[in-house]
Amino acid sequence: MAEFSTSVADKGEVSTIYLKGFLDAHTAPMLENTFSGLIDNGKYSIVVNFKELAYISSAGLGVFMAFIEKIRENSGDIKLSTMSDKVYNIFDLLGFPLLYEIFKTEDEAINKFKETKKLES
Amino acid sequence: MKFKTASLSQNIKFRAFVGFAVVLFLFKQFFGLNNAITFRILNEIFVILTAAFFILYMFDFIRAKKINPLSLIMNIGILNAVIFALITFSDPILNWVFGNVKERLTKPDLIISIISFLYGFVFISSVSYIFFTFKELYFLKQKKNVSTYFNTMIIFFIVASFASVLNPYPELNYIKTTFLIISVILIFINSIRISWIAFLVKKEKISLLILSVVIFILFIVNLANSSDSHLHGQVLINFSSSLDQFMNLMMIYGIIYFGILFFTTLFHIPTAEAYDRKTQEISSLQYFSKLINQVLDFKELSETITEIAVKVCNSDASWIIWIENNETKPLAKKNIGIVDTNLISDYILSKIKKDSDSKTLLLNLDKFEDKGKLAEKFYSLAVSPVKTHNEVKGYLVAAKKNDFIFDDEDKNAMDTFSDYASIAIENSRLLEESIEKERLEKEFDVAREIQRKILPAKNPELENLSISSVFIPAFEVGGDYYDFFELSENKFGFVIADVSGKGISAAFIMAELKGIFESLSKTFETPKEILVKANEILHRTLDRKSFVSAAYGVIDLNNETLTISRAGHCPVLLIRNNIVRNIRPSGIGLGLNFTEHFVDTLDEIHLDLKEDDLIVLYTDGITEAKNINLDDFGNVEFEKILVENSDKNVDEISNKVIREVTLFSRNISQHDDITLVILKWKQKLNIVGENKWQNSAPQLQTKVK
Repeated sequence: MAEFSTSVADKGEVSTIYLKGFLDAHTAPMLENTFSGLIDNGKYSIVVNFKELAYISSAGLGVFMAFIEKIRENSGDIKLSTMSDKVYNIFDLLGFPLLYEIFKTEDEAINKFKETKKLES
Repeated sequence: MKFKTASLSQNIKFRAFVGFAVVLFLFKQFFGLNNAITFRILNEIFVILTAAFFILYMFDFIRAKKINPLSLIMNIGILNAVIFALITFSDPILNWVFGNVKERLTKPDLIISIISFLYGFVFISSVSYIFFTFKELYFLKQKKNVSTYFNTMIIFFIVASFASVLNPYPELNYIKTTFLIISVILIFINSIRISWIAFLVKKEKISLLILSVVIFILFIVNLANSSDSHLHGQVLINFSSSLDQFMNLMMIYGIIYFGILFFTTLFHIPTAEAYDRKTQEISSLQYFSKLINQVLDFKELSETITEIAVKVCNSDASWIIWIENNETKPLAKKNIGIVDTNLISDYILSKIKKDSDSKTLLLNLDKFEDKGKLAEKFYSLAVSPVKTHNEVKGYLVAAKKNDFIFDDEDKNAMDTFSDYASIAIENSRLLEESIEKERLEKEFDVAREIQRKILPAKNPELENLSISSVFIPAFEVGGDYYDFFELSENKFGFVIADVSGKGISAAFIMAELKGIFESLSKTFETPKEILVKANEILHRTLDRKSFVSAAYGVIDLNNETLTISRAGHCPVLLIRNNIVRNIRPSGIGLGLNFTEHFVDTLDEIHLDLKEDDLIVLYTDGITEAKNINLDDFGNVEFEKILVENSDKNVDEISNKVIREVTLFSRNISQHDDITLVILKWKQKLNIVGENKWQNSAPQLQTKVK
């Protein structure tokens, strides 16, 4: 069976989730746990790095929807980055670019968070 | 039948017994004072016959019960106590009630006869019962049916008893004495057969030791008291000298038997514990091997495992440390609290090497820092790995308190037992998995059935639009949906959608979609309006993680136009003049956003239809179909096939696509539903503005395209 794993790295106030492998209905709960873990620790500025993600199914896309509301209520956000063309196409078809900010690189996504912080303060 | 014959023969024995008892009584009544040797012999024969049938009758009664040596011993003890009481109190009570009984015995009246008869009978029954019990004890746990010695002994008992008729002739006493001595020798030989002691547990052995001393003394006292000088002895001899003799023999048997029993038990006590453990081990393992086949519940199984572990190695507590997803948790704690379990489990895991050999490890808590935090003073530990497929899934732990330690026997028992436990746990897991698999299969069957019923049974037939549709469900049913609506005489609607997720939940949302689009298509005209309303309705029912991608189109048959809106779905393909156009108006998937943003970003596209235009609707089951290397079938290939076959009819085109996809994905299971709908526009060869023409002069209005 296809494997999937996540890992988290904190860079300043922004947490990055790295996805690897196949994200589908069977592996989606792992990503849900990762998000829950971050939210429980009060981390609402989250960048998701898709660089090593091979495949995402509709159930995998659903995970992002599950948490976005709560995160934005806490003036945080989920920003997506480093997608392959194939993965981007799936997000694009569903209209995710209209709902999420998607960046070419992880750094751009993190910088966007920092800029927003500066503007607020 | 068996029961009937048994009760019949019982009845006969009982009748014979009563008959002989009556004969004996009458005989005594008429010839009781006659001391001639013939009458004495007759008297003894009647007594023996009465007693014999009484014993036979009693056998059937008692044999039916399950025999437990200790209760047999208890019976003997109680009877002895009764005999003791009778002997002791017969003298004062009889004399007090009937005056000088000794004297009256020489000239018995009816009352004395009856009393003497009854008295004799009490002894016949009690002594017979004791004898019967000895017999049962003798045959207990005998491997061979070695009854020769015992039968010989019975014969000598009878002969020795019977020889008492010679009492009046002192010169013949040697006969009686000889038989008596042989009987005693036989008693010795027979009393050694007491192997049943070995099968008693330690507690039983200790109570047997005490009982045997008490009963031994009782037998001695009773023997001493039954001499001729007591009233008891005289009454009994008067009734039957054989009975008196037989009773003495029984008392001797008792003294010898219980004497030997006492010493044998005494010598057995030191080894009692080892024997207890062996039997417990064996019975536990038997119990457990039975369980292996019965276990349906993992929790129940683990409870049983710890329960047996406690017994197998005589420990105070037991539990299982279960490792799952790199997390450890204690299972099935037996005789230990949660705090202690957690503390000791952590200690064990820190001490144990995962790759160490498979045998039981003995530990103690000498160096355990948190010893003081334990609620109970556990000290020794035996830890056995529980393995399935050579992978350590957890540890079976047994713990002893205070200074008790696990010895080699315990270790071996744990080794064996943990092997059994591993097999049982593996079985239980496999069972659980197969049940879960079956449940999923059932669920998918139901979902597939829902889906089949919801999708159009056949394609609509329209004059200038040929339609082909194919739907192939995956094993894990997805939520693909498509439908056609004949909106009015000149408007034709179609929808394609894909619900996120799989299985029953997706099938239900799909069923809901059917209702939503069915009703909305009647009320609203433009695809955008319909998708916006559908999004609003889904807001109430969809959970946050679910969404639906959909595309809705309307073909105006009169104006030959196509209007399309797309909410997150794959693009609609238009193939015209061998060129593929992706119709991909902006739009967010249904259920992803419920604000004005959804409405604002949802576009609608209008197109004019041309002759032989192909409109292709599909779900990502086609483009994301995988081959064995997990490559996608892809848009490029899909579009290429469409273009190459665009001159064929719609059924041929869709067959071609499905065949290519199937070929691509051979040797790999289909992971998502496949839906393909192809519409082909056939321009009217006939007349435009037909209605007008019918109402006016035809030749002027007609225009052939």
